[in-house]
Amino acid sequence: MGLLTNILLAPFLGPINGTKWTLDKVERAVREELTDDTAVKNDFMELQMKLELGEIDDDEYLRQEAIIMQRLRDVREWREKFGMASAGGPVRVAGVDEDESADERDES
Amino acid sequence: MTQPVIEESGEKESGPGGKYVYCIIRLDRSREFGEIGIGGGARVFTVHHKDLAAVVSDTPIVIYDPTRENVLAHEFVNETVMREFTLIPMSFGTVFRSEKDVSALLSSTYQAFTEVLDKMQDKIEFGLKILWDRDKVVASLEEQNDEIRRLKDEITRNAASSTYFARMQLGRLVEAAMEEASNRYVADVHEALKECSVASRSNKVIGDRMILNAAFLVDRKDEKSFDDKVKETSRKYEDLLTFKYTGPWPPYNFVNIKLKLEKAT
Repeated sequence: MGLLTNILLAPFLGPINGTKWTLDKVERAVREELTDDTAVKNDFMELQMKLELGEIDDDEYLRQEAIIMQRLRDVREWREKFGMASAGGPVRVAGVDEDESADERDES
Repeated sequence: MTQPVIEESGEKESGPGGKYVYCIIRLDRSREFGEIGIGGGARVFTVHHKDLAAVVSDTPIVIYDPTRENVLAHEFVNETVMREFTLIPMSFGTVFRSEKDVSALLSSTYQAFTEVLDKMQDKIEFGLKILWDRDKVVASLEEQNDEIRRLKDEITRNAASSTYFARMQLGRLVEAAMEEASNRYVADVHEALKECSVASRSNKVIGDRMILNAAFLVDRKDEKSFDDKVKETSRKYEDLLTFKYTGPWPPYNFVNIKLKLEKAT
């Protein structure tokens, strides 16, 4: 009952209790959303799979690929704005980490 | 971030600018691979340090989008090189500002590259994705699983009175049986291919029809038997499963060198 009351009265109580907290949280969520390319990469892999399985044709693939590339560029741009690392662009070697776990056979 | 090991190469660097790196091979004299590079047929050649060579092409300093066209160009160069050499593939889109920075890559990671090249000598990778047809698998499960069949019959017979509960129970049974079947198929395929492969790696499945997305490292001498085994297994399951089999690839999934690369601004 208490929760429902809160929700119903939110327009009245909300601004007093929750605004600051909500803004912080929203800002963080937005930032994560803008700088995370996991969803784009998943969509991209699914798109490639659809082409491979013949579910879409070349034209449709290229049309959707263009949209996904734009989304990837957007993410890259936001990451740079927030000063986060992003892939691509000229690099220089700064060292090497060789994974020494020699046995690569996974037993799954 | 770690401190840069290589100092800014400065503006004295002449030459045609950036280098796109495709892979690392063992070769102590220069070599051309034709005009097959990324960005519309750039000349592909080698940059050397001791007995190691980086296979590169000239490029403006840009970020390459992983479009199919670009990725295919990257892969085509590696496939061409692979016909003659064991190679360590670089990840897509790796651009260095100058030839000097590429040499620095080779000299500072000489040891690690050499070890991995030894380990990957005459090894190739195959990709295997397996997709299933849910409806067919469900149908075959109904045939095999008495309890599912009984429950289903019961629900159909008493369509009007059959409870929400019975339906839910059926759903749960089918889900569990499907998961069990998926594990069984995957384990069976791994078992069949184990003998003729050196290593395997399972990647995340893509979409909701895929039950296996794996890479296998195979010795060149076992290529034929691996191939036969894949075909034999796919025939065994041809009514239920679709096999998507690709390769040979360079060992993309089995090279564990993680280069610490930093932005060269």
